[in-house]
Amino acid sequence: MRLIRSALLVLCAAASVQAQQEIKVGGIFDLTGITSDVGKPYAQGVRDAVAWTNENGGINGKKIRLVDVDTGYKIPEAVAAYKRMVGDEKVILLNGWATGDTEALKGQVTQDKVPYLSASFSGHLTDATKTPYNFFVGPSYSDGLRAWLRWVKDDWKDKSRNPKVAFLYGDNPYGKSPIEAGRRFCKEHGIDLVDEEILPGSFQDATSQLLNMKQKGADYAYVNVTTTWVSIVLKDAKKLGLATRFGSNPYGFGEPLPQVAKEAAEGVTGIMVDVPFGENVPGMKRLMDFHQKNHPGDTHDTFYVRGWTYVLVWTEALKRADKAGKLTGEGVKAALETFKDYDLGGLTEPVTYTTTDHRATTKVDIYQVRNGKLTKLKQYEMERRPEWLGL
Amino acid sequence: MLSGEFHTTYAGDMGIFETRRARRLLAVFIVAVFAVPFVATSYWLDVANRAAIAVIAATGLNILTGFTGQISLGNAAFLAVGAYTTAFLANHGVPFIVAGPASGAVAALAGMVFGIPSLRLKGLYLAMATLAAHFIVEFTISHWEQVTGGVAGISIPSPELFGYAFTDDRRLFFLTVPTCVALLYFARNLFRTRVGKAFIAIRDQDISAEVMGVQVFRYKLLSFAVSSFYIGVAGSLLAYQARIITPENFPLSVAIDFLGMIIIGGLGSVLGSILGAIFLTLLPEVLRLATSALAGSFPQLVQLFSPLKVGVFGLTIVLFLVFEPDGLADLWRRIRNWFRLYPFSY
Amino acid sequence: MELLLQLVINGLVVGCIYSLVALGFVIIYKSSGILNFAQGEFLLFGAYVFLAIVSQANVPTVPALLLTFAFATFLGLALERVVLRPLIGEPIISVIMVTLGLSSILRAIVQGIWGTDTRPVPSVFSLEPIQLGPLPVARGYLYSAASVAVLLVALTLFFKYSRPGIAMRATAASQQVALSMGISVRHIFALSWSIAAVVSAAGGILLATMRGGVDGSLAILGLKVLPVVIVGGLDSVGGAILGGLLVGVLENLAGGYLDPVFGGGVKEVAPFVALVLILMIRPYGLFGKVRIERV
Repeated sequence: MRLIRSALLVLCAAASVQAQQEIKVGGIFDLTGITSDVGKPYAQGVRDAVAWTNENGGINGKKIRLVDVDTGYKIPEAVAAYKRMVGDEKVILLNGWATGDTEALKGQVTQDKVPYLSASFSGHLTDATKTPYNFFVGPSYSDGLRAWLRWVKDDWKDKSRNPKVAFLYGDNPYGKSPIEAGRRFCKEHGIDLVDEEILPGSFQDATSQLLNMKQKGADYAYVNVTTTWVSIVLKDAKKLGLATRFGSNPYGFGEPLPQVAKEAAEGVTGIMVDVPFGENVPGMKRLMDFHQKNHPGDTHDTFYVRGWTYVLVWTEALKRADKAGKLTGEGVKAALETFKDYDLGGLTEPVTYTTTDHRATTKVDIYQVRNGKLTKLKQYEMERRPEWLGL
Repeated sequence: MLSGEFHTTYAGDMGIFETRRARRLLAVFIVAVFAVPFVATSYWLDVANRAAIAVIAATGLNILTGFTGQISLGNAAFLAVGAYTTAFLANHGVPFIVAGPASGAVAALAGMVFGIPSLRLKGLYLAMATLAAHFIVEFTISHWEQVTGGVAGISIPSPELFGYAFTDDRRLFFLTVPTCVALLYFARNLFRTRVGKAFIAIRDQDISAEVMGVQVFRYKLLSFAVSSFYIGVAGSLLAYQARIITPENFPLSVAIDFLGMIIIGGLGSVLGSILGAIFLTLLPEVLRLATSALAGSFPQLVQLFSPLKVGVFGLTIVLFLVFEPDGLADLWRRIRNWFRLYPFSY
Repeated sequence: MELLLQLVINGLVVGCIYSLVALGFVIIYKSSGILNFAQGEFLLFGAYVFLAIVSQANVPTVPALLLTFAFATFLGLALERVVLRPLIGEPIISVIMVTLGLSSILRAIVQGIWGTDTRPVPSVFSLEPIQLGPLPVARGYLYSAASVAVLLVALTLFFKYSRPGIAMRATAASQQVALSMGISVRHIFALSWSIAAVVSAAGGILLATMRGGVDGSLAILGLKVLPVVIVGGLDSVGGAILGGLLVGVLENLAGGYLDPVFGGGVKEVAPFVALVLILMIRPYGLFGKVRIERV
């Protein structure tokens, strides 16, 4: 009986919250799939930032309600969730996750006029004339890989021959996203791309791929999968005694990598889109305060910070759209396109969107694991070349 | 007043509908079904379309596994063959009226190819061969990028019939449900014919069937073909409904879901396929409603939803197999008889 | 040449573990005619339980191993008694589905308790490879190959010389005759399920230490052993061992030589292509018993 009564109370409470004016936002996350290693901290970042926004005035007084779902990194699940959120829940914008479903839905979101801020940095989503409703917060995967290749070129001291590079990537849209851009960049800049190895979605060992790569004599290798799988590659490389120097992408590289891969992560380079959690930048203060207040015992990482940056960007857009009196999908898109060097307090590079170019930034930070710690090596600013838009 | 049945002719005994009353009730039911699009929200129409597609596929699988006794773990592959045929044809401007049946035909062909091992293999070994077929088809669709779009998937334009475009789930409902009804009617009829009876003879005892003059191999292949045709048509509708298909639409778990549908519904029963398919399509939706109603107070439930879904599916199957091995169809029959013969229902 | 040798060695090592899991499969099939699709989840469960005992309860490795095996025995016994026994005599499809259902339940339990994160296993072996002639071979691989060999010899001896082992073989040959000779067929079924659960758990622990982490993807082994048992023949213990090694080598060769040609994925599909070919030529596997049917 007590149970029933408390259940009723919960329902009533839910109903009364509903009565206040609120803005519904959809969240598509991966909490259980092959990218859940980085998907979970990201989702927590988004949820915490939404709670923080609601505690601090909401959107000009209106509360945000996050309607979220776990898709397990499955495109069909995400498409079904999208139908439910846009069709029944009438969300105003979506905070998405994977490259696969973001690219699959890019036509649909344009048709439905729903801004889709995805955690996927796929370069294919930057050309605003083709994908006007897709946004992300950070440099694209393609610019990331280009910057890493530029670092390889700088790092390579033997001038008698070009550096030999291999790409190892997952057999999914995320893994394959920057590869074409990387191939072209290698050709233009005197880097020999000697090998490409494809890694399945989940795997027990990467020995056969690494043996092949060893055969081709790669000096550097870029691993385009998430942290868990990068660490398996690194450990297997160590077991085979490879001398190749590894680098990784914004979802493969972060605080968890040295923790999981241990000594095999030493010297690995990678792209950091957001600063590590706890870094001394002005924007980190609200995260630290929220963290101290709500879950001081937890550990967080750069992926958690990334979740925050997304919410900070779209809540700002909602505020601007609300001020302009256009709290609709179209209005939010227009508001996002007014962003010019919008500063996130150093959590990530300042964000700019225009009506033709959705590359939030082209500045890429390369970090390296040194003694188990992430150390910043260098920042590269890639050009905004027109032929790189949408690639 | 309900009552028992009394047939005076063989024709009456063999009839599709047991009584005139049953026919009338069915007509009322079908009219009621077509009222759904006018009341349901767009998401529930999506669920309804998925259920109709699942009914078609489960009926197809039941023809092969329930009626002919051949175990197939390759259904998801045949579904994929149907879906990708539609994707290919629709992107080359072929209208639905051709693409739908053509997808069924291509799937039927694929089914026959993978049915060839059934000449020599039985039971577990056949299950293994069809399982291998699944992985081979999965490999093909994710690597034949020119046709299938690889892992990124391929999008499909909305189907059109006589100038009417089925652009959303509400309109698609009028495509999936009639197709489903027509195919169900055909399946019900099939088992009144020589072919259908041959299937059943093979299931019950294939060697005896052969002795009695049933050409076992021919009918086994035919069963694979008919079954895969159904699954292919289901795949075609799935492609139109999903708008974009990727290899992830056709994992092994889909094949296991279909098997679960006919187990829960009842092997060797058309009604069973319908009940099982609807049951297993609604189950995760009901779970989702339940978890999202509670997610406000227990946020970690969102994360537990996926294991919960898997676990409840497994538990349902195990419980049905242990306690109700003849499935929902038998349960339905018992309930109906109880009411029909009430108060003398002993 | 070096690539070939290295691929073969890796294949043999991974194949050892396939053999072990396949053996569990074959033991159940031989004694009770059930194809256990939940074998991969047994493996997963074993690995997680071991990890929980070692890292959360801080039990040393050897007692932890024994505890895990005790748990696996219990799991096997319980499942056989509660779920499988009511299904004796039901059609094959029901039996297949019930093991598939079980695999879903076990997976859900594992995911519900331990989540989906990869949990690091305390590293027992150093990552530095051992030089075997010109080839670097991982330490963990060598140790697991050795432990699999020990287990396989022990099991072979068990079947050949011990009383329950002989009783199991007798039951496999003919349940009726075994019954009339005073063997409790029900005990044999229970025994075979617990042995299968224990060898799977051992496989899971070995695989987890080799890889350095446990997560849900370990359950994929349950599907990988299917080609293994088909290649070897469902009811042949020797076939399972050889089949495991063959499939391990085949997989690595396909991965090494064909993956670059086809753009990945051949490593995973190659065993299944072999499965179809073998079924076409020898419908009962390389060493399986040909069944003659009479009406």
